[in-house]
Amino acid sequence: MKQILQRALRVRELPISVFLVLVVLATGSTNHAFFTLSSLQDVLLGVGIIATLAVAQTLVIVMKHIDLSVGSTIGLTAYILGASSSWGHDIWWGLGVSLSVGLIVGALNGFMVAYLKLPSLVVTLATLYIVRGVFNEIAGGDTITEDRVPRAINFLGLNRFYGIPLIFLIAIALMLLVGFVMRRLRAGRDLYAIGSNLQAAELAGIPVARRIFGAFLATGAISGLAGVLLLARFNAADANSGAGLELNVVAACVVGGVAIAGGVGTVYGAVIGAVLLQTITLALGALGVAQFWQLTVNGILLISAISLDRYLSSRVKATTIMGSSK
Amino acid sequence: MQKKFTQIAAAAVLAGALVATATGVAPASAAKPGIKTGLKIAIMPKAINIGYFTAWNKGAKKACSEIGAKCTYLGPTEATGPAQVRFINKVIQQHYDVLVISAADQNAIVPSLKRAKAAGITIVTSDADVAAASKSARTVAILPSASARIGTAEVDWAAKAAGERGTVAVLSAAATAANQNAWIAAMGPYLTSKYPNMSWVGGTVANSTFYGDDDATKSTQQFDAILTQYPNVAAIISPTTVGVLAAAIEKKAKGASVKVTGLGLPSQMAPYIEDGTVETVGLWNPIDLGYVAVYAAARAKSGSFNGRVGSSFKAGNKSYKVVAGGIAYLGDPFTFTKANIATFKAIY
Amino acid sequence: MKKFNFAWEHGVVIFLIAVIGIGSNLSPYFATTDNLSFVLQDIGEIAIIALAMTYLIIAGEIDLSVASSLNLASAALGFAFRNGVPFEISILIGLAVGLVCGVINGFLVTVVGLPSLAVTIGTLALFRGLAYALLGNEPVNELPEDWVNLGFTNIPNTFLPWTIIPIAVLGIVAWVILHHTKIGRWTYAIGTNAQAAKFSGIPVARMKFALFAATGLMSGVAGVVYTLRFASASPDGAVGYELNVIAAVLFGGVSIAGGVGALWGVLASVLSLGAIRSALQLADFSANALLIVSGALLLVSVVVPRAIVILKSRRKSVVAKK
Repeated sequence: MKQILQRALRVRELPISVFLVLVVLATGSTNHAFFTLSSLQDVLLGVGIIATLAVAQTLVIVMKHIDLSVGSTIGLTAYILGASSSWGHDIWWGLGVSLSVGLIVGALNGFMVAYLKLPSLVVTLATLYIVRGVFNEIAGGDTITEDRVPRAINFLGLNRFYGIPLIFLIAIALMLLVGFVMRRLRAGRDLYAIGSNLQAAELAGIPVARRIFGAFLATGAISGLAGVLLLARFNAADANSGAGLELNVVAACVVGGVAIAGGVGTVYGAVIGAVLLQTITLALGALGVAQFWQLTVNGILLISAISLDRYLSSRVKATTIMGSSK
Repeated sequence: MQKKFTQIAAAAVLAGALVATATGVAPASAAKPGIKTGLKIAIMPKAINIGYFTAWNKGAKKACSEIGAKCTYLGPTEATGPAQVRFINKVIQQHYDVLVISAADQNAIVPSLKRAKAAGITIVTSDADVAAASKSARTVAILPSASARIGTAEVDWAAKAAGERGTVAVLSAAATAANQNAWIAAMGPYLTSKYPNMSWVGGTVANSTFYGDDDATKSTQQFDAILTQYPNVAAIISPTTVGVLAAAIEKKAKGASVKVTGLGLPSQMAPYIEDGTVETVGLWNPIDLGYVAVYAAARAKSGSFNGRVGSSFKAGNKSYKVVAGGIAYLGDPFTFTKANIATFKAIY
Repeated sequence: MKKFNFAWEHGVVIFLIAVIGIGSNLSPYFATTDNLSFVLQDIGEIAIIALAMTYLIIAGEIDLSVASSLNLASAALGFAFRNGVPFEISILIGLAVGLVCGVINGFLVTVVGLPSLAVTIGTLALFRGLAYALLGNEPVNELPEDWVNLGFTNIPNTFLPWTIIPIAVLGIVAWVILHHTKIGRWTYAIGTNAQAAKFSGIPVARMKFALFAATGLMSGVAGVVYTLRFASASPDGAVGYELNVIAAVLFGGVSIAGGVGALWGVLASVLSLGAIRSALQLADFSANALLIVSGALLLVSVVVPRAIVILKSRRKSVVAKK
């Protein structure tokens, strides 16, 4: 029993899961409306997009990289999907173009980081600007409204499966898929190795460049397809869609235990991180805390999460040196 | 006459050759009395990628072609003061005659406007004004209606929809948005005094206001937050086109029963009015705002109008009077319901 | 004769000259003293923060919260003034607040040991939130006119804006320290190899702490300039400026990996970016064009040095084969 408990305590995702439960309980006891199905659905709906992007971002962060261009990509593809009918095309064309845009941006990022060995912060910052600029040119002052959103996407946004919003289910499905890849498949585990020690990974024969390229390509593709979710959730899109999401996504990952230093963290943690941040936003509202404090709370939360993570990882290091390593 | 037309056509071709989102208008009609022709006018929205301002520019362009002026639509991609300041500097450097501007920040642009004025440029604010303390920076402000009227009209729509009972919340734009804050301030006492069976969810209107920052995502989340905090709220007023649209979409998505009203673009809100999600929204016509502003500015530049309180000017066929604060109001906002939405949604 | 090593910074200066040349061709209004004054004012805040950010990035760290620190300093200035504190003291309060922000960052990174990228995302939110807490939703806008005039007028009888003074003074100080003092050498050493630096006796943690504090102070100075220039203190100012600063520093030849970079390269970069923005704008390009150009330049700033390295190593191997 003690051994199970000890192993459980070492799970990275445990502290934030516990914190999440605490937050929900504390808020719910103060404001009973928080416990309703409706507010749970709000959390899940709101989280679906960030969770999807966080799953994708995990792929690159564990390798000690970052992708800041995701906000621009998702906004652009959401707009393209919405505008596709006005441009005389059907939803399949829209989906195809969205996927292509995501793949192109991902390939661009991946090529420059993996093969040209350029720093990902700089590269993805640059693509953030470029994609946003192109997006602004295409969209201008146009606003996509609900009547232009393809029926199927509308359906996706509005419907639930046994009460759980479809958008969230898609995010969960993606999480399970990517989680499986990262844990069970060779290519996935290699990403952790690259993040832990690049030189050792190279020496061990891991095709580092190919893995890095693949990860950015996947992140781009997921961000592109996530435009579907953005459009479905808000039934609207314009030149500002997706702006600023990248920092929220990175915050969700970090809070969820995916360390910026690379080598650790799982997509499950990233999703929990996203859920936690969203829950806190709604909880603050439910508790009647003035909106002004939200930013401050988010900041403190992020710093606490990183500090806690640091504290825990230094403890884990101590146990693995003295005890048996996992 | 022929020669003048060729000159004008040549000017139009040159204008069209500029690579930009600037719209060079080819002036074609005869001059109006009291207005100089060939004025170089800059039309500056808060940001160029906002649909509302595309309509605003439509009116401005129409006025420009009527008075034979050369108009350029220019502005930043982000609706902030500092971003607008750069474009105001450009207007100064490129020696424009007139600047018609919707202030993205009622304070931050004031020093630049003063500098523009010192350089001889006539400045008229339209849609969004500078702070009252700085009104000397512009000749006149063209605003839709008095803040009080816009605020009280919205309360009336909400009350009517909610059967004059229940609590009300507000979903606004940015916390620092001067227009919205003025309208909300007018709403506060009006609700409690005119509708004794209604009150603000948080006690006062200030405590009942949520900020969606004119961002669709944030507005949607704030709408949800209102419902979570106050599940029995009867009506939500959103005095911003982004907010009321987001609220309508989310209300429909969740099947909520709260009444939604506010300031909405008929073209955007049409589907929700037609299917009953929303009963009433209102708005002035941004096309008119742009149209009247250009006339006011052109006349001021030409010396036939000085913007002083009590003076008046003509725009098109209507006459407008300047009241306290150096402001000319267009009139009451239009109300859009199922009855008239079909006509208006095609216009703006 | 000493061999002239062509460094990235030289490229930036050439780029600046090219931009001035192209800009003059694109518009007659570009190469005027008026425009120079506008551009210098335009880049003021970015330049001041970039000075400190240069040190930070060379030392291998980063600070994403600078725009929020700028804003909080401005908010503190406004808050103090609104509550009756004399304007000069309010300015000092603003500077002090900026410094405190830097100290907080420095503490979290060097004492608690958190990674700067992640932690400054947190302080970015925290500082901005505090600005709202201070000012609520009411900007402070009735500032003393003499001070406000300093924000946007020129020094009498010249075309130089008053705001050039803090930039010039701080710029010279920063340049001297970085390139001619022990502190500067330590900064490079820490960025090149922090472990080795520590072993050779450099107080790494204390240095980094000081660099973060200095960055905060510079953000405070920029916050004061910002407040004067826009004659107001608002809780939502300077959103997104941090990315502009970082882009300018990186384009100036400072490597994100640390240990490399020169201050005059950064100054040339800040000027170039301001000049390009002005040139594009006066030539009636849309604001979108500038976004795309900024991104492209950023890419160029990393692709070109890499390409040169790759080409050089190819040449070497070809030569070796012979």
